[in-house]
Amino acid sequence: MQYIGEHLLPGQIGHLLAVLSFVAALLASVSYFLAVRRRTLPDEAGWRLLGRGAFVVHGLATLGIIVALFWILVNKYYEYQYAWANVSDDLPFQYTFSAFWKEQQGSFLLWSFWHIVLGMILLFRAGRWEAPVLTVLSAAEAFIGSMILGLYIGEYRLGVSAFDLLRHTMDAPIFERADYLSQITGNGLNPLLQNYWMTIHPPTLFLGFASTLVPFSYAIAGLWTGEHREWLKPALPWALFSAAILGLGILMGGAWAYVALSFGGYWAWDPVENTSLVPWITLVAGIHAHLIARNTGYSIRSAYAFYLMTFVLVLYSTYLTRSGILGDSSAHAFTEMGLGAQLIAFIGAFAALSIALMAARSKGIPAPKQEEAIASREFWMFIGVLVLLFSAVLITGATSLPVWNKLVQIFKPDYVGAALKDPVAHHNRYQLWIGVFVGLLTGVAQWLRYQERNAAIWRRTFARHMLIALVGAAALTALNALWLNVFAWQHFALLFAAMFAVVANVDYLITFLRKNLKQAGSALSHIGFGLLLLGILGTGLNKHWISSNSFAMEGLIEGMGSEELNKNVLLLKDAPMPIRGYEATYLKDTIERQTRTFAVRFRKRDAQGNPTGEEFVLYPNVMYDRQFSQVVASNPSTKHYLTYDIFTHVSSLPKAELDPEFARQQEDSIRFEAYEAAIGDTIFTKKHYLVLDDYTKAPQHPDYRPEKGDLAFGLKLRAFALDDTVGHAAAPMLYLRPKQGAFTLPAQIGALQMRVRLTEASLARLIDADETLQYRSLRLKEGESAEFEGYRIQLVRLNRNVEHPHYTPEAGDIAVTAELLVTAPDGATAKAAPVFLIRDSRSLNLKDEVAKWGLHFRFENIEPSTATMTILAARASAQARRIPVEIAENAPRSDYIVLEAIVFPGINLVWLGSLLMLFGLGLSAWHRWTQRLRT
Amino acid sequence: MKRSHLIAIAVIAIAIGILISASQDMTTYANFAQATAKGDRVKMVGQLVKDRPVEYDPVKDPNYLSFYLRDDAGEVRRVILRAGKPQDFERSEQIVLTGQMRGDVFEASDMLLKCPSKYKDEEVYVRSEKR
Repeated sequence: MQYIGEHLLPGQIGHLLAVLSFVAALLASVSYFLAVRRRTLPDEAGWRLLGRGAFVVHGLATLGIIVALFWILVNKYYEYQYAWANVSDDLPFQYTFSAFWKEQQGSFLLWSFWHIVLGMILLFRAGRWEAPVLTVLSAAEAFIGSMILGLYIGEYRLGVSAFDLLRHTMDAPIFERADYLSQITGNGLNPLLQNYWMTIHPPTLFLGFASTLVPFSYAIAGLWTGEHREWLKPALPWALFSAAILGLGILMGGAWAYVALSFGGYWAWDPVENTSLVPWITLVAGIHAHLIARNTGYSIRSAYAFYLMTFVLVLYSTYLTRSGILGDSSAHAFTEMGLGAQLIAFIGAFAALSIALMAARSKGIPAPKQEEAIASREFWMFIGVLVLLFSAVLITGATSLPVWNKLVQIFKPDYVGAALKDPVAHHNRYQLWIGVFVGLLTGVAQWLRYQERNAAIWRRTFARHMLIALVGAAALTALNALWLNVFAWQHFALLFAAMFAVVANVDYLITFLRKNLKQAGSALSHIGFGLLLLGILGTGLNKHWISSNSFAMEGLIEGMGSEELNKNVLLLKDAPMPIRGYEATYLKDTIERQTRTFAVRFRKRDAQGNPTGEEFVLYPNVMYDRQFSQVVASNPSTKHYLTYDIFTHVSSLPKAELDPEFARQQEDSIRFEAYEAAIGDTIFTKKHYLVLDDYTKAPQHPDYRPEKGDLAFGLKLRAFALDDTVGHAAAPMLYLRPKQGAFTLPAQIGALQMRVRLTEASLARLIDADETLQYRSLRLKEGESAEFEGYRIQLVRLNRNVEHPHYTPEAGDIAVTAELLVTAPDGATAKAAPVFLIRDSRSLNLKDEVAKWGLHFRFENIEPSTATMTILAARASAQARRIPVEIAENAPRSDYIVLEAIVFPGINLVWLGSLLMLFGLGLSAWHRWTQRLRT
Repeated sequence: MKRSHLIAIAVIAIAIGILISASQDMTTYANFAQATAKGDRVKMVGQLVKDRPVEYDPVKDPNYLSFYLRDDAGEVRRVILRAGKPQDFERSEQIVLTGQMRGDVFEASDMLLKCPSKYKDEEVYVRSEKR
């Protein structure tokens, strides 16, 4: 069949480039490999040139694929499955990036892109390391390239192409039509991913992942060429850079989870988080081993091992998150694409290469004959490296349980599998000790010296500064214990270790580095680590839910759950709810596009429950899907203070708000009863009474958008419970819209579970009342008065400025308002403003009323010769003044939200500490890079 | 003995110690029958029984959710979770619970939903009108 309107060219180009990119990466790897093998031989330069050429071609081809895919997404070519699944016509342009790397193919391309950028820098700057390093990097690129090939080799499909056509991936009758494209539209991007975090977090994280390949490649190069010391210098800035960026990527993930998703925290020990944290930990361990090796010659073997391990762990993390094996244990959803086997081959190849090379070259790796001195920095730094290794092994072990279960099930199909009872508690319990040891070691090792030969002389300085650190840490621990809820001795240990790290490193910074801040990277990082631990303690121990009201909820709970679990509170609209330390009120909600935003006001209260005067409004929102049939995301809103945050999100909504069908049924099942009353009267229902205060021709209602030509009427009333004097204002209304008909907008009085509405009978009474009225003419000049049925009517003045609600000005109109002052027998006064209008040489008039007294006025005529106005006045009968209204009681409430509100003390210490740690790494990377260039 | 050997021995000893203590944090996947027999906290995977009542009335208690779950053996039991009801609960294809049996009722402390449909809608939207 010849399909209409398809754009097949970008897809064909993309496909072709994918193959070219893959082949070029292979060629680059092989050429560079031969260039290394044939070092010092005449054809070395030729191979290297070929390798370069192939790598550049690979880079350009990959850029071409990226452009082709982007083109398809930007132009919304829904004939491609990738575009159909991830974008839609109404998707704002800036989210095209999110859509690009949302799926596996796009994120592989992003990863590949960074490898190419880094590879290009290495190609120009790595000098004699270019060939071995790029051999490894190109090989990795070939593996990644194979993931997006989408080639069939017999029955086996190698990779998943980003350019598959929708009609090839899906079987639907619509594809029997040649013009199917004009009938379909894209799915659009999941609203959860429509935010700027999804735009900045993946590129940063993938740059982090990609950059771990550089120290890995240097390590392989060192082992391969046997230049075990020489690679250490050029690789160091790369490793530091990688740790800074990978750390930043992970931190952004935490920040995203915290500020934009309703995960209720920045770290949840989720498998996806863990598997990106572990490579970072091994990388940091590797950097420390690397520094020992650079300065003393010890630990070269460890530096190798950790860098090799880091990249293999990055691959393992990729496997875990992309193969779908985490299924039961992670909240992150990944669509499985059948790449499992290819990913295992990728890990297998790089792990095997690493192990084989390490084994083969292990004997030749140099190390000093003499053991490290106990009083040396390298000894304690190495202990720290081992502690980090423990951390990595523990986290990986626990996170890999699903993999272990799968493996066992291959041999023992009835194996049920093990899982962690409570992952968060488990990880916290063990990682706490990692924090303690690392905190203490950073303080101690900083004050020791590499290859200490004069321990006796240094001992005094060391002891003095350790004393400063111990005393300072003890003081700060005591100080922080004032605000932290520390009870367990383990937490005291962690707090002390954190403070020890801070004091010792600040001391070091002041003593040695204040004149040379370029070298302050390590001290700053370690201070940051200490502050991060303090922040973790604050958010972990002092985090508390304020969204609970045990008093209000008491007796309502079946079986009485423990208070810890009561994290949600129900807020009725406009009803202030006392919660811990605050009074929360759900004020209003507004809808824009698919987002519904709730305004919730918090008023701080003191211990006695009195308001302190401090208040703020938070705006959590929920996002509906495109059909408005369900809520797909609940986004938090957070109040930031310097020392803590108040984090809120809507955890549930009334069913009627989630399900329009249910809402319709519910609305139909409400029973209204008819009543009649005049303005000023009171209606008594079974459980309530209502006072009709006024009648208006310019009503306001949340659902009413006035249009030209509308005739609108509304009531203002107050409703009371029979045994109460607190009035609840309500304003039902109805309006006539030309050519469309009459519409009634009921008023909800949530607190009393009431609905009040006007009906067609009300409309008839309001409009037709005129026919039953007996008008009497009053002839008045400006300023004059007349008596009417005991009321005194004064024509105050005429006004050319007409503001009658039912008056819409037209060109050529002559319109005048008669401003009347009405005085009742009891002295009360009211105003009325009927209008006289000449339009198209016909005289018309617009009436006005004093509804509470049943008085109606028309402005009928002006006699220019005598300056006398004819005002018609009438008083409606008691019966005619009664307005029919319908009232429902026991209407189900749908004006509430269920809110979760959490206080995170010390959250800013988490951000500050992490950023300082990463800044220190970045500073060191920059320092080492410039140093490297100098020699 | 060399110092590095001492360190290696210490590392191995600590590692074994941690492994033994960490194994107490483990639990197994179980169905209702196994959970009853075990009496301890377990992980459970099952599906929401859609034709049995889901009880959640936030006006009464926003921290009480009750529903029926079918485990992998096909057995249906009532589950109580003392927390709010997640937005897309009814659409879940699979529910992973952590908790233990109390009499006939499974009391869950933690719930994880799998709703692939949230991320992937296999339905082709047909345009209501042409561009």
